[in-house]
Order: sequence, then structure tokens, then C-alpha cells
Amino acid sequence: MTAPNTASPPSRLSLFWRKWRFHLNVLLLLIPLGFMPKYFSEAALFRGDTGLGEREIGEVQVGPWSLRLAEFRNEAPRPNGPAGPMKHFNAALCQACISQVKATYLRIGKPRSLRAAGVIFFGSPYRMGALLPVPAKTQPDAELWITLEGWDGSMHQAAIPLSQASPATVAWLNTQGARP
Amino acid sequence: MSKKSRSKLWFLVHSWLALPIWFFVLIVCVTGTLAVVSQEIVWLVNPDMRASKPSDDAPLLSYDQVIAAIKQAQPQTQVQGIARPDESHFALEVKVTYPDGRPDTVYVNPYSGVVQGSAPAFNFRGFTRALHGWWLVPFTNGYSWGWYLVSLLGLPLLASLITGLVVYKRFWKGFFRPTLRFRHGARIFWGDFHRLSGIWSIWFIAVISITGTWFLIEASLFDNQISISSAPVIPVVAREDVPLSADGVAPPQLSLDRAIEIAQQRIPGLEASFISLPGNAYSHLEIGGRGWYPLMYQTATLNPYNGDVAASRLLTDRTALEFVTESMRPLHTGDFGGIWIKLIWFFFGLILSMMVLSGLLIWTKRTTLATANAFKRSQKPVRVAQSLQPSMHRDSPEGNL
Repeated sequence: MTAPNTASPPSRLSLFWRKWRFHLNVLLLLIPLGFMPKYFSEAALFRGDTGLGEREIGEVQVGPWSLRLAEFRNEAPRPNGPAGPMKHFNAALCQACISQVKATYLRIGKPRSLRAAGVIFFGSPYRMGALLPVPAKTQPDAELWITLEGWDGSMHQAAIPLSQASPATVAWLNTQGARP
Repeated sequence: MSKKSRSKLWFLVHSWLALPIWFFVLIVCVTGTLAVVSQEIVWLVNPDMRASKPSDDAPLLSYDQVIAAIKQAQPQTQVQGIARPDESHFALEVKVTYPDGRPDTVYVNPYSGVVQGSAPAFNFRGFTRALHGWWLVPFTNGYSWGWYLVSLLGLPLLASLITGLVVYKRFWKGFFRPTLRFRHGARIFWGDFHRLSGIWSIWFIAVISITGTWFLIEASLFDNQISISSAPVIPVVAREDVPLSADGVAPPQLSLDRAIEIAQQRIPGLEASFISLPGNAYSHLEIGGRGWYPLMYQTATLNPYNGDVAASRLLTDRTALEFVTESMRPLHTGDFGGIWIKLIWFFFGLILSMMVLSGLLIWTKRTTLATANAFKRSQKPVRVAQSLQPSMHRDSPEGNL
């Protein structure tokens, strides 16, 4: 901690190091500074400044009803612990169908029945969200099925290709193909 | 090892714990201190957030009256949840969604039901918490690495406390004879300040370092898929419990005041300081609030159609381990007993930030002295050099270095 009593004078570099070594950690401040734009763009995404999500898929007609679907993030499914990769979709029901639709579901592949319609959407009909599990072994040409259940007991379905719903997911699935 | 060299070693450990990362520790302390009172700062700046009473005897509106007032002012707006902050000078915070798909938090006057304004686009409270808690590093897969970076500081903080008390011999005497010398130069002043604020902050440093270390453990448990929770997973409302509707529109749901009444009958002492409305036709209504133990919340989960209590989570449902772990966060933030507890946390947060600074100042001043002395030592006989640094030997416990 005290200056060494060596015969030769220390080099400028080592003097510089001695003087500033304990202040180098100021550079750690670069981490939050670097992430700040990301932080504010995330805040804007959650505030709905960019609409339903980063990528609007468009209006999907489901029987007599319709909904607007969007990818919350325009990216591949995110790992979600033991539940596996998950993809976040947002949706908004058409104004006229809000009072008639009881529940909205999302599933990869055609559901066998209403009880297996997939994941249910949560939230206000103006902006609801669902986390869809996307197993890595999903076929890239799979279809995304939307099921709407009415308060009158009726059920309507529609499907769109996964490539239309989320190109980023299909691109990710294509890289997963090599795995067993 | 001799007694002297052992205390020298402890002292070295004490100074090395924070020294190489002093600025990082300082910013984490300062942002944490701000985060404690962030809600109050926003309250001071933003009048929309205040719960002004229209008259002295104005009664609080019930949750149903609040919803009705919002519906009347903005018929299209959908309400997702209402929270009544602990301190009565805050307006209600209501989570809503507008027809254009934008979610929002609005401030509603708890006496008049007037929607006073929206939460500003820049969320100061959220920002200071994010900066303090995870250094703004995003969460993508489990906890962010920024969270680990910050919560790791709990360990050197705890070690600083322990080694500090070891090198400060007979520190308890400092309680009876507080010393803060102003006229002996900066080095002496900051040394006195560091020791004096240190002994009065023992409890606070212990609380912050232990709870901070808990955040590290919490993240590690989560990221390794280890759960210590005894909370049951509540199934959705069964298909047969959702009434059928002949006319094709949603059946009526229980009024919020009736739901609270039912929940309080079933669960004595349940307070309703927040309500979250069902997220879809098959999900429940949740009512929650603090119980007699201010560090934890109790909740009741109700079927919104028939009022059946599907589940409840009370203080008595917690395991002993959960009592400890769930108390960690409020203990860390000081958010469990209103403004006075927060102000105490804020004050000691400032003191802790100053301890980082004073520690650094002591070290730089001592090094400057030692360097000057070493320089003189190399030019003069050793005997003289020693007499040049008398104050270091006499005045401070760590002067033996």
C-alpha cells in the first residue's frame, strides 16, 4: 500500500496504474448507461406506445368475430425455465364482439375440442396477452389456431400459418431442426 | 501471528472489501436511498398523485363507487385493478386499458372518484428501482445478470460490518463518548465520521446486507428451478361454475363491495388494500391487504360469479421459512409502516452512502500521507521519518498500519 522503495524509478504506466486503479470501477457505470436506451424502449413497449406489440400480424376473421393479433416481441420464443420456450402474443377483440366473446385461445396445431383449445388470453379485450409454449421440435410449417368461445356456447376457429404469425419463430425452429 | 499483525490483517481486509469497487457501491447505495422515497418524491412533484380531501368530513368511496365514477367519466375504459396505497395522502392507483389498446395507470381521488391524471411516461419510481436493483440489465431468461451483480454486494457489505467492528476496538465505548473532531484536519474528521456513523448504523447495515444477500439467494433458487413456496397452485374457475348465458352476453359478476364482505366474513382481519379483477371469464377475483404482521400480505381468491372463496393465503398458511424470506423485501426497502419508517431508512441510506465516501477519503488521505512519508524516508534517516507521522499512531484505532 505504500510506495515501493525500489532503486529504479517506476515507469509512467505503473504510476498511472497506482494512481487510478481504485477508480477504474467508475467504468461499471457504462453498463446502465449502455442499457438505458433498451430500458426506455422496453418501457414504451409495455406502455403500448408501439401498439399491441412490436409486430402487428393483422386482423384475423374467426367465424362471425375478428381479432387483431400481434407479436409482443418480434423475436424467437424465449426460454422460460422448465416450461420450455414461450412466445408472447397480444390480441384485441373487435369492438362489436367484446360483449359476446367469453374466451380466446391460442394453440399450435388444430385443437381436438374446446377443452384442449390451448392457452387462454388474459387481460382487457382491448389488449390481452397469452404465453404460447413453442416446443423446439415444432414443425416450421405448423399452423397457429385461434379459438373463440362465445357466451352463447358457440365456438369458432381460424388458423394462420406460423410463418405469417411469427417469422422469427419459424427462423428459430429452422435452426432447431438439427437437434434430436 | 502477533496481535498487532492480526489486527493489521483485519484492517487490510476491511479496506479492500469496498475500495476496488467504491464507486459502484456508492451508486447502489445512493440509488437505493432514493428508491426508498421515490413514491414520495413523485407525490411532491405530481399533484395528480395526491389525495386531497374535498371537505374535512368527506368519507372514502367504496371500490364499487370508484369503479362507477370511472365508468361515468370514461365509459369505454376497462378497469383491471385498484390499489389503495398505505399512506392516506396518496390517490388510488387504478390499472386501466383504453379502447385503443393502451394500458395505463391512473390516479383516482379516493374521496371524489375524480380521475386526476395518468402516471407520467417516465416512471421515476420504476427507474430508480431498476437502476438500484439490477443496474438496468434486462431480464431475458430468468434473473438478469445485473441483479446478481448488485445483490452480490450484500456479501462484502456484511463482511465490512464484521471486520469494521473487529478493527474498531471496544467500539461500544463510542456510543457513550461520541467523537467527531472538526479541527484536526480532514483525515481525522472523516475517520471519526466513519466510526461514529458506523456504530449507529450497525443494525441498518446488518439488515441491508442480509436482505441483499437474500436477493442473491432468491435469484439463484429461481434460476435453478428450486421453489420453497408452500402456496398451492389455484386452478381456474371450473367450466361448470361459469354460468351459462341464454342471451349471449356475459352474466353479471359480484359487486366488489359484496365480494370484500364475503371474503372478510370468511377470513377475519382481511384488509382490502388492493383488488385485481378477473383476467378472463375463467379467472378469479383477488382481494388482498396487510394483516397484523405488516411485512406480509394476505389474499383471498374468489369466484366472481357466486362468491365462493376458491383459495386464501393467510399469515398462518406460511411456513416458518416463508415468514423469514417473505419479510426480506419490505425490510430491505423500508416499505412496511408508512412514511416514518421510510424516512428512517432514507436517513440511514444517506449515512451508508457517506460511509462509502468517507472510507474512500480516509484511504486516499492516508495513502497520500504514507506516500509522502515513504518519500521522505528514502531521503532521510528512518528514525526521523517515523516521527513525521505521529497523528496516525495516536489518534485512530487503525493507526497501527
